[in-house]
Amino acid sequence: MKELIKKLTETFGPSGREDEIRNVILEEIKDHVDGYKVDKVGNILAWKGQGEKKILLDAHMDEIGVVVTNIDENGFLRIEPVGGVSPYTIFKKRIKFEKTAGVVGMEGETTDEIEKNLSKLSFDKLYVDIGAKNREEAEKIVPIGSFGVYDSYFMEVGGRYVSKAMDDRIGCAVIIEVLERVKSPNVTIFASFSVQEEVGLVGASVVAYDVMPDEAIAVDVTDSADTPKAIKRHPMVLGKGPALKVMDKASISDRNILERLINTAEKRGIPYQMEVLIFGGTNAAVLQRTRYGIPSATVSIPTRYLHTPSEMVEPSDIDGTVELLVAYLEGG
Amino acid sequence: MYLRELSEIPGVSGDEDKVRDFIREKIESKLDDVVVDRMGNLIGIKKGRKSERKLLMLAHMDEVGLMVTKINDDGTLSFAPVGGVDPRVLPGKRVKVGEDKLGVIGYKAIHLQKSDEVKKPPSYENLRIYLGFSSKKEAEKEVEIGSYVSFLTKYSEENGKATGKAFDDRGGCSILMDVIDLNERYDFDVYFAFVVQEEVGLRGSAILMEQLHPDVALVLETTTAGDNPEIPEYQWATHLGDGPVITFAHRGYVANKRVFQILIETAVRNGIPFQMKRRTAGGTDAGRLARRGRGVPAGVVSIPARYIHSPLSVMDLMDYKNTFKLIKKVLEEGKIMEEVSG
Repeated sequence: MKELIKKLTETFGPSGREDEIRNVILEEIKDHVDGYKVDKVGNILAWKGQGEKKILLDAHMDEIGVVVTNIDENGFLRIEPVGGVSPYTIFKKRIKFEKTAGVVGMEGETTDEIEKNLSKLSFDKLYVDIGAKNREEAEKIVPIGSFGVYDSYFMEVGGRYVSKAMDDRIGCAVIIEVLERVKSPNVTIFASFSVQEEVGLVGASVVAYDVMPDEAIAVDVTDSADTPKAIKRHPMVLGKGPALKVMDKASISDRNILERLINTAEKRGIPYQMEVLIFGGTNAAVLQRTRYGIPSATVSIPTRYLHTPSEMVEPSDIDGTVELLVAYLEGG
Repeated sequence: MYLRELSEIPGVSGDEDKVRDFIREKIESKLDDVVVDRMGNLIGIKKGRKSERKLLMLAHMDEVGLMVTKINDDGTLSFAPVGGVDPRVLPGKRVKVGEDKLGVIGYKAIHLQKSDEVKKPPSYENLRIYLGFSSKKEAEKEVEIGSYVSFLTKYSEENGKATGKAFDDRGGCSILMDVIDLNERYDFDVYFAFVVQEEVGLRGSAILMEQLHPDVALVLETTTAGDNPEIPEYQWATHLGDGPVITFAHRGYVANKRVFQILIETAVRNGIPFQMKRRTAGGTDAGRLARRGRGVPAGVVSIPARYIHSPLSVMDLMDYKNTFKLIKKVLEEGKIMEEVSG
């Protein structure tokens, strides 16, 4: 599992540029499913089992990133965020493009201006330095419209995993593992690895159109509020198992699914925690509203430092999530 | 090119009838079928020789404008924007209220404003439309609450530039009509959709996918230039005269990679100048299409224009011509249907 998580998180795949990560995932699942397809917008939809009831598990395969919007005459790039990237997070970090990498710097001609820019930082004040000497040189390597992601690598600290793109490659890893482990599902499992979640839940809006499963579960990350002076109203912590989402800003989990998840966890003795997130949303919000409606819920993996190059998760939470979902699919 | 006629027709979001009638009359004889759907989108169909795959081409008919919200005791009208209209562009402008009433948007004269008032932008609360009525009773006979208000700019051309209202997105509509005028039949079906209510939240396009299930979609827009001299060049969105604008990503949607690449390759191959949309703010119907039905790989091509969402925008007619050229080539070459999966 650790190797899989390392591979998935280190693969390039910002929203709209999921080709590489899609190929990695297809390679991982192809021997463990009965069939799969890639739909019109680039989502992977795989299936396994023969049961009458259809359950969809979804994780998004895209990650947040940036896109090059302009290049100046000296070869410095201007960027805008793709999904929720804070200018404060990306300032002074490295960005990886498909063919090169760059450093993010900030404008400031006087100390006053530097202070002002720092206190109200925006992407308009940032640039990326790829070492190019001029516009022509830069344009050859990263033409306007090139996408980039945090330049970050997977590491293990104190038994915990840290990397970019845990959001939501960790969900992808969980579903890949579930597909592999589930041997006798009572249901037909559909697994979607969807595109463009970070810019507005695009892929998941259409992925279930033809299947119309009886229920859908989004597997995604959530905030973990167990760091110094973290969000007081959040109960989620690392190490207490999968977080069963009751509500976030975009959806309220289907009560029935939620209760059956709780029952499954109780019966199997799998640690779990309840989640209410006061911001954010998952693909459950659009799965729920597909055509005539799909009862939907979210199972989350608590994660520290979300939307940074160093998102931290706890392996036991990941194992617990896999265990819970396998048990759920095998009938509780 | 129908930009002149289209520009002068009033058609604020939800009130697109006249635009639709004009377009319908011009295109009907050149297409295999023309229908109007339940929301008022006009859809023209050109069957293909093979007809196995469907391309949807879309432009929106509506423009931003205003609506009467209240008739005041003194016979003046209070109003609200329909779509994104900056109140700073309104004072002193002539408008049409309802079918045929002419009015002026009034604001406290500079002589009566205190020095700090002059510096503050006007708000919708203190702008009124004056029609020359002296009482509420008089005004009520001629206008209604809910009456649409549109700008009254005449189209003109000067030095290769066109000025007029509503180029966003009558420019796109006009390009689609030019394509229809070619009267070409391609291998694939082409659906030409002239949609309603884009400016108030991509509403008309929301019901297209269920009706048409296209394989690929191309949105034709008129987009903001943002090449003002006070903005450094590296912050411009687009620049007048640099050719059709190709979008890689905008609010809520990253344009389909292959569609994006084919647009660029087609321009390069045919020596057509083009530029990227270099800001990602703002959205188009492409984002809506990709999220509805089974989804669709979508791309966006726009004509750049200055001062859009105001009573007067400016377009370089070379950009119009090159946008048309690009679209024509994309259709002729057909790669967009052969090489985009789905």
